[in-house]
Amino acid sequence: MTTQIAQRTWEDVTDGEELDGFVFELDATKMVEQVSGSQDFYPVHHDTDFAREAGHAEIFYNTGFTQATLSRLLTDWVGTDGWVKKMSFQMRKMNIPNDKIHAKGVVTGKSEGDGGMGEVTLDIWLENDRVGITTPAEATVLLPHRD
Amino acid sequence: MPKAVEGDYDIEAVRAEWIGKKTPRTSGRYPVEYDPIRRHCHMVEDENPLFLDPEFAKDTVYGGVISPPVLTGYFAGDGAWPPTGGPTQGKRRSGEEIEPPGSIIGDVPTRGERLINMNVAWEYFAPVRIGDQLSSETVLADVFEKSIRLDPKAVWIVTERRIFNQNDELVATNTNTLLTHRRPDVVAAEAEEY
Repeated sequence: MTTQIAQRTWEDVTDGEELDGFVFELDATKMVEQVSGSQDFYPVHHDTDFAREAGHAEIFYNTGFTQATLSRLLTDWVGTDGWVKKMSFQMRKMNIPNDKIHAKGVVTGKSEGDGGMGEVTLDIWLENDRVGITTPAEATVLLPHRD
Repeated sequence: MPKAVEGDYDIEAVRAEWIGKKTPRTSGRYPVEYDPIRRHCHMVEDENPLFLDPEFAKDTVYGGVISPPVLTGYFAGDGAWPPTGGPTQGKRRSGEEIEPPGSIIGDVPTRGERLINMNVAWEYFAPVRIGDQLSSETVLADVFEKSIRLDPKAVWIVTERRIFNQNDELVATNTNTLLTHRRPDVVAAEAEEY
């Protein structure tokens, strides 16, 4: 059965509005899924001995997983008629096994945009319960106008 | 993997030789396919029908399934990362040889062989659809030394990648900053020498 995603319009958005967000438990299954989904087999993301040899306390979740999580936050929010125009992020702290991570965001501005769609800017981020914000990010998305 | 050099390392010489170098434009290993999209979505519990349901997607403004934005780079590349010399190597459908490791990251000289990716910036210009054949070219935008906790002489590499579809349309750009570092035992051994 197809999941329905509500279509938000530019007119629906208010400055300061928070995104719904979601939570992941970084358990053993999620660790395997990050390798499968990203096809990133660099051992620092799945081999504890390799990670510790490099000076890390633990393996840490990879870029593919990190950007996919942030991207999902945006694509869920813009709906199937929206468009992610820009997304940038900084991996300042690590998300490691047994962390609970939260994907969150807030609207920072909106403008008329061009090409018939309205533009919205957002601050988005990943945080975990152990160290707080790990991955601050910014995005610009396009939303359809209400007819 | 980074090309770690033993002995003397001259960051100014590396900068002079490498900044501005550009890879040849190479094709993605396969056209854009459904199943890598499904795996990607499974990883982050993404049930978006625009990425997963062809019947639904054909009636959207995009007219069919499109790639999630951040998967664009995967479809413009060789497949699994990092290249291993194993089954990811060989020839592309176009007949081009895949040259391991096939990227600036594997060729620019560094001090250490370990990697940590740091900053990423994407900009998207056009949808990437099932069956599209992507290609890309990468420029080394910067390389510099900057200390981190693990290595006082970590070498950072900034790359800018441009990704095109089969119609030569720019679909996305990606700026990536990663650092390379030495293992703690290597750093400690150098400290003992002095």
